[in-house]
Amino acid sequence: MNYGFLIDNTRCIGCHACSVACKVEHEVPLGVARTWVKYIEKGAFPDTRRTFTVTRCNHCSDAPCVEICPTSALYKRHDGIVDFDPGRCIGCKACMQGCPYDAIYIDPQTETAAKCNFCAHKVEVGLTPPCVTVCPTQAIVAGDLDDPASSLVQILGRKPVQVRKPEKGTGPKVFYVEADAASLVPAAAPPPSDYMWAQAPQPPSALPLTEEAGAPRRTWGVKEQHRNSWGWKVSAYLWTKSIAAGAFLIPALGAILDPERSVGAGPVLLALFFLALTSGLLIGDLRQPRRFLWTLTKPQWRSWLTRGSYVLAGYGGLLTLQLALRLGPLRSEALAGHRGLLALTALFATGAAVYTAFLFGQAKGRDLWQSSLLAPHLVLQALAAGAALTSPRALLWLLPVDALLIAAEVWGRHPTEDGRRAAKLVKSGPWLLQGVLGLGHLVPFLLLLLAFRAPGAAGAGGFGVLASAFALGGLLLWEHLFVWAPQQVPNA
Amino acid sequence: MTIERLSPGSGLQPYAPPERWDDYVEYDPKQWPKRVEKRYSLVPTICFNCEAACGLLAFVDQETMEVRKFEGNPLHPASRGRNCAKGPATINQIQDPERILYPLKRAGKRGEGKWKRVTWDEVLDEIGGRIRKALLEGRRNEVMYHVGRPGHERTMDRVLKAWGIDGHNSHTNVCSGAARLGYALWSGYDRPSPDHANARFILLLSAHLEAGHYFNPHAQRILEGKQRGAKLAVFDPRLSNTASMADYWLPTYPGSEAAVLLAMANVLLDEGLADLDYVERWTNWRELPPEGEGAGGGTEPTFASFLAALRARYARYTPAFAEAESGVPAARIVEVARQIGAARGAFAAHVWRGAASGNLGGWQVARALQLLSVLTASVGTQGGTSPHAWNKYKPTFWEEPPGQKEWNELLFPREWPLSHYEMSFLLPHLLKEGRGKLDTYFTRVYNPVWTNPDGMTWMEVLSDEALVGLHAALTPTWNETAAFADFVLPMGHAGERHDIQSQETQSGRWVSFRQPVLRAARERRGETFRHTWEANPGEVWEEDELWIELSWRIDPDGSMGIRRWFESPYAPGEKLTVHDYYRWIFENSVPGLPEAAAKEGLAPLDYMRRYGAFLIESGAYGLQHKAVPVSGSAERDPASGVVRDGGKVVGVEIEGEVVAGFPTPSRKLEIYSRTLSDWGWEGEALPGYIRSHVARSEMDAEKGEMVLVPTFRLPTLIHTRSGNAKYLNEISHRNPVWIHTRDAERLGIASGALVRISTEIGYFVNDAWVTESIAPGVVACSHHLGRWRLHEGEGSRWSTVPVRFDRQADGSMLLRQLGTIEPFESADPDSSRIWWSDGGVHQNLAFPVHPDPISGMHCWHQKVVVGPAEAGDRYGDVSVDPAKSMAVYRSWKEKTRPAPGPGGLRRPLWLDRPLRPADEMFKI
Repeated sequence: MNYGFLIDNTRCIGCHACSVACKVEHEVPLGVARTWVKYIEKGAFPDTRRTFTVTRCNHCSDAPCVEICPTSALYKRHDGIVDFDPGRCIGCKACMQGCPYDAIYIDPQTETAAKCNFCAHKVEVGLTPPCVTVCPTQAIVAGDLDDPASSLVQILGRKPVQVRKPEKGTGPKVFYVEADAASLVPAAAPPPSDYMWAQAPQPPSALPLTEEAGAPRRTWGVKEQHRNSWGWKVSAYLWTKSIAAGAFLIPALGAILDPERSVGAGPVLLALFFLALTSGLLIGDLRQPRRFLWTLTKPQWRSWLTRGSYVLAGYGGLLTLQLALRLGPLRSEALAGHRGLLALTALFATGAAVYTAFLFGQAKGRDLWQSSLLAPHLVLQALAAGAALTSPRALLWLLPVDALLIAAEVWGRHPTEDGRRAAKLVKSGPWLLQGVLGLGHLVPFLLLLLAFRAPGAAGAGGFGVLASAFALGGLLLWEHLFVWAPQQVPNA
Repeated sequence: MTIERLSPGSGLQPYAPPERWDDYVEYDPKQWPKRVEKRYSLVPTICFNCEAACGLLAFVDQETMEVRKFEGNPLHPASRGRNCAKGPATINQIQDPERILYPLKRAGKRGEGKWKRVTWDEVLDEIGGRIRKALLEGRRNEVMYHVGRPGHERTMDRVLKAWGIDGHNSHTNVCSGAARLGYALWSGYDRPSPDHANARFILLLSAHLEAGHYFNPHAQRILEGKQRGAKLAVFDPRLSNTASMADYWLPTYPGSEAAVLLAMANVLLDEGLADLDYVERWTNWRELPPEGEGAGGGTEPTFASFLAALRARYARYTPAFAEAESGVPAARIVEVARQIGAARGAFAAHVWRGAASGNLGGWQVARALQLLSVLTASVGTQGGTSPHAWNKYKPTFWEEPPGQKEWNELLFPREWPLSHYEMSFLLPHLLKEGRGKLDTYFTRVYNPVWTNPDGMTWMEVLSDEALVGLHAALTPTWNETAAFADFVLPMGHAGERHDIQSQETQSGRWVSFRQPVLRAARERRGETFRHTWEANPGEVWEEDELWIELSWRIDPDGSMGIRRWFESPYAPGEKLTVHDYYRWIFENSVPGLPEAAAKEGLAPLDYMRRYGAFLIESGAYGLQHKAVPVSGSAERDPASGVVRDGGKVVGVEIEGEVVAGFPTPSRKLEIYSRTLSDWGWEGEALPGYIRSHVARSEMDAEKGEMVLVPTFRLPTLIHTRSGNAKYLNEISHRNPVWIHTRDAERLGIASGALVRISTEIGYFVNDAWVTESIAPGVVACSHHLGRWRLHEGEGSRWSTVPVRFDRQADGSMLLRQLGTIEPFESADPDSSRIWWSDGGVHQNLAFPVHPDPISGMHCWHQKVVVGPAEAGDRYGDVSVDPAKSMAVYRSWKEKTRPAPGPGGLRRPLWLDRPLRPADEMFKI
């Protein structure tokens, strides 16, 4: 059994019956929607046409939301339906980054993720979902793709169909007959500032709208739930995590490479502090913060959120051990200097820095994050952040390398249009050039040059502190741009 | 616990099988994926949002005995289990925390916003006593029932006739009155019933894929027709969703539609595409007077001479002329005309409101459209357009009161002898002119203050106790008119009352049964109720029981001869119950129902209570050919073929056979209306083209004049009675003014900018919606939105904003919005999640009345001046000069040609009239 939908655009009249029937069935609160009808208008008078596109979860055969969900709150049923269990959801919103279709929202009543679940409660007893039942023109067909006798399979055999974003490789199972290209590509007509008979539920996205008369224009839509569902806390988390990792990594690497050197209690404390901050931000960003431990106790092992949680937990444990070996009753110089233990902790520090690259990689809805440079870049960011706090001199080579990586992320080749759109957003405005690269890289680099060119300069001095502050600011700003921009590109 | 699958394998069925409706189990979606069973009683009823009367199926939770949701009723022959957005949204209306649950009486001055709860007994005694007094004192025309959305089929006529009053007023002349007249003049039937499913070509002067009379049933069948290969053409100056689905969108300039249709008729005639045999056989062509003075005098007219005369009269309607009037390229008009011709016999067409209701002379749009149906021999055919009565069921009763011996000139004033319906929207103007007064005035799901043009005059008159003695608003939900009532009486929503519904949605006849679903569900469990309100939320009544109770209080001892009509046919002398009322109808007046019920071992009433609908017949075509038995004494008029038997017209002879024909004087399709000619409108007796009051030639481009189309509806709303449905309001809540990109550039208006739209009597201020989806020179603003409340508690906060009226220095009144739509606390957590603030702008208030001199229809389109907002203008402002509105009324009244007509009549006897009085009342 493998259920899917077919939407016949030669029949859909854009009446919204499906969306209202859905809302009634599930008592979906105002402000969110499991299915909705997108209106796109294009063409100059009198060749104008309005197209209607019923939009919902694609019940992907390779569902990114299921893969990224840390607690199996989203899961695939044996009949191909992607269902969810509010009772398992921690509200981390990773699924909303994973889904390339803007199909998931946080239910304001339950504060957990929700979406179209194909009305599994109806399908299980052999009934069509109410959106299918209600449709005046029978434009929505639900059926079993494995059953050659189903009307769904019959139509698929007869008519050419399209799916949304096939390039994502998710295997969407909502098929469209005579879909309009400008309607299927979300960024072809981004959300504007108002609709033909409704207010826009949120300000327009940062993507520029085409002003030309007759260009595709979105004339009805719902709130983009995925837009910036990860906000400043996630940007800040990346930054604190970089510091938490780097603060230990830099001295630890020194100690591993040079037996003369050791790692003091200071960097360990610093790393622990920022790791605690990181956890605080992560938990604070959960819509169900009390369930934060479920990432560990109800793990879904394919999710990098789960794996990352274990890495962070492991790193936290090792740091605590390192601290205990340096302060307090368990103090042991031998063990504190043990290179194997240092290396293990450094490995977890690296893991803590780098796992987000794989988590972001699972965020199939964010093209900019699908970068092969991200993993090395996160390690480098951690080193830079660590260096800024522990040995600013290293920034003299870390900052130029970071700038090169940033340039590669932004100006490098992006395989998808949405990736280019996000990169363009990063570039637009003063934030990247003047902010990240100017104040965050060039200025600290010059300050450090000044600091260390000075004859007899043993430490960085005041210039060094200033340089570190600028560098850390630059890192934070970059994280925010990198987290924010791809979330401005509409997914539906 | 698991519920067994309905069928093995993976197949899915759309509906719960009817045999399980008494005790149906489903998983609770709220607790999913926990498999928690919920037991429901499924009770069929009827949607009350638009007029289509689609079937609903209420899911009554057996544990809480509350309605959980409404799905479609799969056994309903028109809607077939499917609904538009407004069907499932019925649950919002039932659960609306803002609804009215108890009868209210005003506690201050009328319109002051002070209310107190009263008992139904007090209400019935006071109103019953007043009506009794009025009737006893011979003030029969001072009692009036004014209906917005009609419900119960024929029930109200029966009630009013029983009271002996000419007191039925309706909304029809702000709605479909013009098209109805156009159709009625052709065939005696005032509504079209297009057979879209079987058509080869469909022409809509409407938006039936999103709104309009029978939206959902028609949309289903239009799409069926399209899937079978029919082509669809749509006339609309605005790109409606319907136009967008069409093969041909003809963005006709408002008012030009009849010119385009006549040009198409010319193409059919010129290119040999018309079925002339049919025209010869089935039209009254002989009645067309010959061309010119004395022409053909004395000679018998021939069909050839008729055709020549017709073509001479239509010579000016060339495609080029139509292009000049409409802006639609001539080639496109010709192309569509040829397709229509090629669809001979299967051309389905529909106009209901739209062009007919917008324009002076709009009734001719229906005449011109029907001409195409006649020329293509598509009247009453499979795939053609039938008269509605062939496809609509009407109940009969065990006893019917006779026609009232009254003629109420507040309803049918002499100026409009051909007005197809009551001059309803002129009621306040007629009252102000001193033509009468009202003792007791019921409004029922009717909101003229907001919906009708010139709402300011409505407010003025409703506030005047000398003109309106008592106003009782029967409504399920607050509206602007109820705020000016003495009693606000909560009536049931869709599933909270009884009635019978049947509409001409397809080629067939069906009857459906509305029932109060909670009462029905509890009766299934063996409970009994005396009144529906005992099972409804609060003390929400149903009209059927209200009228029975009220009639008994008007005539408690039966001495007035009223009570007897409200006694049970099964127990004479006893008060009629709704049970007995519908039992009698279903047992005696629905062909085939008793037999179908018997097959299932059910009484007819129980069958309808269980299934909610019954298909009486399908595929009713060509009923005009039905042979009529005549006696030996029957007389045949040699010229016309009309056959009289026993002094009554019974049919017409066609090719040697006496057949039923059509209910017109000629018994044929009247291409030439002698009625119009006799009543002073000889120039309009053929289907023709009347230049609209908003025709291009009427517009002064120098002054920046444009035409405003103020009537378009949204797929998600219905007039003002869906304002309490949160899911519908979430989808649609503002009504910006559509303006073409070029016009906006010319006027310096950006999308979203404030614009001032000036009418003859004032202006309103709204946002602009700059778009390519409207014809240049035209602006459009949708219906439904811009709702307001004068006092807290007097309007649903889902959709109304607080406002104030202020008299300005120049004597005009200014309505100003004092706030926005805002979240509020209630039992429904969603009310605190309202995310929109815009409720739209009330445009109708700024419109004067435009009564068409012939049809009496309010001609909705407005000549306006569009410009950027002026200093001090605020979003939502509406300014009106009441003195000007009376002047506009008088100027339109002057266009009329008043009764009496031939024979000293107020109105032609053959033309039907709502609540038809006794024939002698037609004579002045």
